[in-house]
Amino acid sequence: MKKKGKILTSILASIMFVSVLAGCANSGNNASSSASPSDETSKSPSASASAPAESSSTGLDTSKKVELQFYMLGDAPKDLPAIQAEINKMAEAELNATVQFNFTSWTDWDQKYKLLLSSGQPVDLIFTADWTQYQSYAKSGAFLPLDELLPAAAPKLQQFVPQDMWEAVKIDGKIYTVPATYKEYVNNGFVYREDLREKYNLPVPKDIASFEQYLDGIKKNEPNIQPLSLNSDVKTNFMDVFREINDDTIGGPLPYGIGIKYGKPAEVYSYWGSDEQKKDLETIQRWQQKGYFPKNVLNVKDTLQDPITSGKAAAILGDNPNRYNDTMIKMLSTHPEWKLGYTPYAETRGFATPVHPIHNGFAIPQSSKNPERALAFYEKLVTDKRYNQLTEYGIEGKNYTVEDGYYKMVGDSTSNGFPREGMQGWAWRNPEYMLFDKSYDGVKEIFDRLDAVAKPDLFTGFVEDYSTYQPERAALEQVEKQYFYPLYAGLVKNIDEGIKTAMDKANNAGLEKVQNSYKEQWAAYTASKGIK
Amino acid sequence: MATKRTLLKEIITNRILFIMLLPTIAFFLINSYVPMVGVYYAFTKFDFKRSLFNSEFVGLQNFEFLWKSGILTKLTLNTLGYNLAFIIIGNVLAIVTAILLSELRIKWFKKLTQSIMFLPYFISFVILSVIVYNVFSYENGFLNTLLKSLSIEPVDVYNTPWAWVILIVLFYIWKNLGYSMIIYLAAITGISDEYYEAAKIDGANIFQRTWYITVPMLKPTFVVLLLFALGSIMKGQFDLFYQLIGNNGVLYNATDILDTYVYRSLKVTFDIGMASSAGLYQSLFGFVLVVTVNYIIRKVNEDYALF
Amino acid sequence: MKIKDEKYTGLFHSIAYTVILLATIACLFPFILVISASFTQNDSIVKDGFHLIPKVFSLEGYRLVFRFPEHILNAYGVTVLTTVVGTLLGLLFITMAGYVLQRKDFQYRNAFSFFIYFTTLFGGGLVPWYIMMTKYLNLMDTYTVLIFPGLMTPFLIILMKNFIRSAVPDEIIESAKIDGANDFKIYYRIVLQLSMPGIATVGLFLALAYWNDWFLSSLFINKQDMYQLQFYLYNVINTIQFITQMGAGTGVSLGGDIPTESTKMAMAIIATGPIVFLYPFVQRYFVKGLTIGAVKG
Repeated sequence: MKKKGKILTSILASIMFVSVLAGCANSGNNASSSASPSDETSKSPSASASAPAESSSTGLDTSKKVELQFYMLGDAPKDLPAIQAEINKMAEAELNATVQFNFTSWTDWDQKYKLLLSSGQPVDLIFTADWTQYQSYAKSGAFLPLDELLPAAAPKLQQFVPQDMWEAVKIDGKIYTVPATYKEYVNNGFVYREDLREKYNLPVPKDIASFEQYLDGIKKNEPNIQPLSLNSDVKTNFMDVFREINDDTIGGPLPYGIGIKYGKPAEVYSYWGSDEQKKDLETIQRWQQKGYFPKNVLNVKDTLQDPITSGKAAAILGDNPNRYNDTMIKMLSTHPEWKLGYTPYAETRGFATPVHPIHNGFAIPQSSKNPERALAFYEKLVTDKRYNQLTEYGIEGKNYTVEDGYYKMVGDSTSNGFPREGMQGWAWRNPEYMLFDKSYDGVKEIFDRLDAVAKPDLFTGFVEDYSTYQPERAALEQVEKQYFYPLYAGLVKNIDEGIKTAMDKANNAGLEKVQNSYKEQWAAYTASKGIK
Repeated sequence: MATKRTLLKEIITNRILFIMLLPTIAFFLINSYVPMVGVYYAFTKFDFKRSLFNSEFVGLQNFEFLWKSGILTKLTLNTLGYNLAFIIIGNVLAIVTAILLSELRIKWFKKLTQSIMFLPYFISFVILSVIVYNVFSYENGFLNTLLKSLSIEPVDVYNTPWAWVILIVLFYIWKNLGYSMIIYLAAITGISDEYYEAAKIDGANIFQRTWYITVPMLKPTFVVLLLFALGSIMKGQFDLFYQLIGNNGVLYNATDILDTYVYRSLKVTFDIGMASSAGLYQSLFGFVLVVTVNYIIRKVNEDYALF
Repeated sequence: MKIKDEKYTGLFHSIAYTVILLATIACLFPFILVISASFTQNDSIVKDGFHLIPKVFSLEGYRLVFRFPEHILNAYGVTVLTTVVGTLLGLLFITMAGYVLQRKDFQYRNAFSFFIYFTTLFGGGLVPWYIMMTKYLNLMDTYTVLIFPGLMTPFLIILMKNFIRSAVPDEIIESAKIDGANDFKIYYRIVLQLSMPGIATVGLFLALAYWNDWFLSSLFINKQDMYQLQFYLYNVINTIQFITQMGAGTGVSLGGDIPTESTKMAMAIIATGPIVFLYPFVQRYFVKGLTIGAVKG
């Protein structure tokens, strides 16, 4: 028996070894071929760059037919195949290229986004935004720099995007994404039930104090309505918004309890543990104790808007003009007698910041096999009206019609195979070709008001390099969820003690190191951009 | 008992058996063993421009986020505790229900209840979390509405960590009972009637027959389930915890497991190295445990051992 | 003596019926809530929560799921295809492997068992596997990728091995060998016949895994007409979660397309439906005495 055991182990060992060898052999392949995309990309642009060098007049070598892989987040609209066929007809004739529009769907989109960029799979164009971590990906080399490609492959696009926007998206001095030029605002504003406000003669919410009076009035007069709509993301949907209106934050979301005020952008302080935080948390606790939002808010999974449209709740602390407009339309469709009011924070803060150019864009990943053609195609998508309107609104007559200059959907969103911006075409919007639904006038009107007080976004251009404090960052994430979230939800009875515990934990997790490093990086950023 | 042979000779004698096993070997080579090179990610700094083996070797740096958090022990214990509860309670209940079910005489009842017990398996944890919230929410959940109508103080379940220790185990079993019960039910079906007949003649009553025949006959099945569960004792059930607990930090002390921690830590940054290191930690833990337990089982009864 | 035995049996049965009945109710209750919610108007769910009987009856949940009926039907088709093909192929491989691994005269059975089991312990993670599937096997947007990775799991193989070991006595194999049957014939003529409960169980588990799978579609399928049912539905639910998590600052807005609570519940029902009918079919094999007779006859 023993002998057999020995033999078994040796066989086992040999099998393992073989498999490891096989693994290594394969990984050898793996290594060399996953090295190859970057090799290829470094070769192919130069190779193809040398080709147009011979025929420099054209600027772009289209002799070889290629298929471009285009990746966008979210779900594909139902009529995509028809749109894609139309686009390909034109693209084949004009660029000798066809394009495959791929969509990640919203399921695990962040994970798939990472996989697409790290697996070396050929991807030619991919969406970027501040919330897809454009800055970190660009910094760690996931995208190709476009500075030299642009004049060769997409001179028109280079002209089309204003120079200051190109400057703004630069990471370490290089352009990695083509920013969208459409100007919009995603600053927050109070959303409240205007009809109820009038009925009970409550103040118009303008700041936290008046908003609290409004909530209080609702609680007293409408005991069955929950005054404030809130869900488990108490940081993003509550604390960050609260600080935006109450503490003059520069933008955000600011991580690790960092505080920076728009009025004093050069000064970085720790919001966690500050008197400012204590005051904020006291207000929130009061709201919780008075029952303005559910006690178990940390487990609520509704959207913020659903309770408003169904009449369950009477206010959202902050939402952007676009979403407010959507909520209102949805609410009015079932309750035409209600009214929904909106006060942009700009009215109190005195300014609004249009979205940073990083907010919407398209980049060319390292693994792209045809970066030049990809860029040339993207140029068409943005600057050519046929391409642009087709991919933003679908086929005219079938998906939409234009009436008095307004976009009008054929049928409704449940029957139409390509609703407005059905491909999530936020990034290649071209202000000149944009069509708006009549209902969008409300948003435009708000935007006009905000235009009058517009100031630049000072925050989004900042690129945080967290490679030196990655473990601490993970630990702090945990501390925030475990010890600060209950405070954000107003659940901790003794705030002083709660903050103290949380701060102890945060300090143990390395808060100081992280905040100091962030401070240094921020100082370097403000100095380089001349922000004072 | 077969005599010792060399591998080559064995292949020739049992060539048909080898051929029959070939698809399985190929499958695991392609699907599992070759991608295993990725373990190396755990020791490198991920770089978009360089391939795996050209990436910078950073030693154990990727593991830092696990122990620097200061809660690795706690997470490990939580994970172990929950999984042990799942394994023990889950298996005991599955065996009990399988035995009871196999003895039922009314056919339609037997079939219907069996099917119904399988239903929870289809309810995803996303859906379950919505139901659970509806039952336990403080202001207008099922439970508190009931308590209020009986003039009893409402309870705040979502602020009571210990309650979730019980609830999580309960929901896990609720969801998986039907599944593991079937395994035992199939095993019981396979037990030859001759044993029972013989026992009856010896005067054993139904309780004795169950205890002395059925239960021992289920041991090999139990061992398989046990060893598989032990191997992944540091992993798994992410969805259960993530959906039911989510952002509720109040409950983390009692309910946070390794998987949820890793998920949260890496949600914002994509660090393949860190993800791999966490996976490796889980694997090593399970590996040591399984090899040990398998060794003990082999000592007791060689037939039951997995390998 | 006899009377005493009957008394015990009676007691045992009353325990059995009570326990099973209670367990059944516990399993059924939440399911009824889901069914009820799927027929409730969404606003009513948001405002009043779940009830055993819908407060405001509505079919809007189902209407939304079926707004593009061809999508659902298509997804059903893909799921049925992958489930059937995958289960049959998987069963073939798994029963063969299980049979070989339990043969006492197969000398390396423990080594191979370990070879298989080992893969549950260590894995290279998502990235290398993803690269393997997309780059080397080139399986993006193919039906193969929906079937291949799920063909076998170590658990099912070992389970099958155990089922076969307990269902097929060594003597039968030995005598068949003496009769001159080769190894494959023994497997085909005897082992398969004798281990029907095991095959039914493993087959059911395989089918369930294929039916419930959404992950493969999510990772490897870009073409919408190749989505599996569960992914199609799961994705709709995820879209809600996604929107809940996106702060206003991202500017992401999906307008009127946001699916509702009642839709979620309707989907849970739709996804469950057909597979529930599979189980009674499998149950037929959980009857004692069936197996021996099959071979003797």
